[in-house]
Amino acid sequence: MLETLSLMAHGFVNALYPVNILAMIAGVTIGIVIGCLPGLSAAMGVALLLPMTFSMDASTGMIMLGAIYCGAIFGGSISAILIHTPGTPASAATAIEGYQMTLKGQAGKALGIACVASFFGGLLSCISLYFFAPLLGQLAMKFGSPEYFWLSIFGLTIIAGVSSKSMVKGLMSGALGLLLSTIGMDPMQGVKRFMFGQSSLYEGINVTCALIGLFSMSQALILAEAKIKARARATQFKDRMLPTKEEMKTIAPTIGRSWIIGNLVGILPGAGASIACFMGYNTARQFSKHKELFGHGSYEGVAGSEAANNAVTGGSLIPMLTLGIPGESVTAVLMGGLIIQGLTPGPNLFVGETAKMTYTFFAGFVLIQFFMLGIGLIGCRGFANIARLSDAILIPAVTILCVVGSFAIHQNFVDVVIMLIFGVIGWLARKFGLNNAAIVLALILGPIGEKGLRRSLLLSNGDPRILFSTPICWVLVVMCVIGILSPILMDRMTKKAENAD
Amino acid sequence: MKKTDIGVCLVMYAVCALFLYMTLQLKKAAQIYPLCIIALLAGLTTLHVINMVVAAKREGVTSGLEDFKDFLPGQFFTLLAMIVIYIAVMPYVGFYIASILFMTASLLFLRVKIWQIVLSEIAIFALVYCAFTLFLEVKLPAGSLLG
Repeated sequence: MLETLSLMAHGFVNALYPVNILAMIAGVTIGIVIGCLPGLSAAMGVALLLPMTFSMDASTGMIMLGAIYCGAIFGGSISAILIHTPGTPASAATAIEGYQMTLKGQAGKALGIACVASFFGGLLSCISLYFFAPLLGQLAMKFGSPEYFWLSIFGLTIIAGVSSKSMVKGLMSGALGLLLSTIGMDPMQGVKRFMFGQSSLYEGINVTCALIGLFSMSQALILAEAKIKARARATQFKDRMLPTKEEMKTIAPTIGRSWIIGNLVGILPGAGASIACFMGYNTARQFSKHKELFGHGSYEGVAGSEAANNAVTGGSLIPMLTLGIPGESVTAVLMGGLIIQGLTPGPNLFVGETAKMTYTFFAGFVLIQFFMLGIGLIGCRGFANIARLSDAILIPAVTILCVVGSFAIHQNFVDVVIMLIFGVIGWLARKFGLNNAAIVLALILGPIGEKGLRRSLLLSNGDPRILFSTPICWVLVVMCVIGILSPILMDRMTKKAENAD
Repeated sequence: MKKTDIGVCLVMYAVCALFLYMTLQLKKAAQIYPLCIIALLAGLTTLHVINMVVAAKREGVTSGLEDFKDFLPGQFFTLLAMIVIYIAVMPYVGFYIASILFMTASLLFLRVKIWQIVLSEIAIFALVYCAFTLFLEVKLPAGSLLG
């Protein structure tokens, strides 16, 4: 206990270093800009800027990526409120009430409430991050090869959850990712597999290149395929942004409920901020004393949606940091950031010197929320104008950043070509209903599962009963079953929430 | 059922066939795991084919091209060709020259105003120079033709 408190204090001291503060300011600002640009997602932004964290200290790099993540989730609300176009899917529910408030001349108030609700949602989610992450980390210390095999299988069941339309197509995407993860040296036999004569594929496909290609390059191609349209001019506003005491009293219970919803959704594999915002919005309406205001510009509607989507951020980090299981696309990209720094996501992040890095990141995540509040409130007017930036400029700009980012990893062209190939795969996957997040999850989890399985079988001389030899194995088997069934449940809950709107 | 899904299934079977061929070239002990994954992908694709047949009988067949209703082939393939050429010529002319040519050509093609082209190029190259050359100390390709 004392050791944990000491690590927490140490984390805050480290997080307050000027370099980390700079990383927070830069990350939140970049994140908000990316978030408020319709067409660019949080995952895309984090993937695009991943290479910039290479030379940074691990904790600083993770703080910057975390800041981009939080900033992008909040940034989506700016264009949702001002031009009725959610910058990210996580702000889809915010657009309903936020734009109605804009039409009533309360754009400033809507943005202020979104900012304050996002702040509290994000800040409260840090509590669960501090509380649950070390507990799960301690449990994961008991894992051996059979448990790691089941853990990766559990992670792969998430694929079913991230599959947007067809579960079978999602699973096909995952299997394709697993197949691509076999490229490179066989971990047990030392045999070269499917390397196409490229020695740079010895260690397998570089996950960062694949991430940049699948999330960022494919997005540039998506923008390139449609007619370039001029975006609506953002509404100018002069009204007071900060909510009054009375308004704060009204939205406080809504924020509390949305925090719990967002956190649970974040921890659950396969769910994400886009689901949480609708659930938060719907719950706000159910409990509201002024239901008649919903659909006509309700403060509580904006607060419910924004607190829930930002509460997802802390929750979604828990399974990624403790078990090495990314629950959705942004955490998969963040996991790539950890791997680049030479760190293995999982229980080892909570022991020895690495624990200091982890707690510095946690403390940074708390401070990020304060910067998000400040930068959000001060910069809203400026960010609103950025939301008008044309897709015509974004296409070559994103392409150049993808190229330079993938080149910077090992300073060779093979990585750039791999990035482009994955960009085209990502574009095709999106056009034909396959799932990029599933491909990435499988690409990351495939090698963990393969090593776990083959090491287990080696230890047991080929006896598969070793895979069911401990109670933890059985718990993980049950979780796999839940992992497959939970998307069906989530799908029903989302449809129910959307239909209610 | 969408007709385009037939293409998706054919591509998946082709990927399975390619990896199966390459797997059979490996030594026996290294074949097992990839074979399991190939079987998994082929099995899921077959399951999707069955779903498609059931859906075709129940709901009929659509072209699947409705997902491409806003697709501008001329614009898309021209930009894709520009990206491929940009990456192909970069080792010869260097990062900055290739990028300036690519960005100018693509922005002119997309009918962006000249002052916006100049402004966006200054912004993006300042960002790349500061972040990658100064901060990360990445040696961006200078180009073999330019020494």
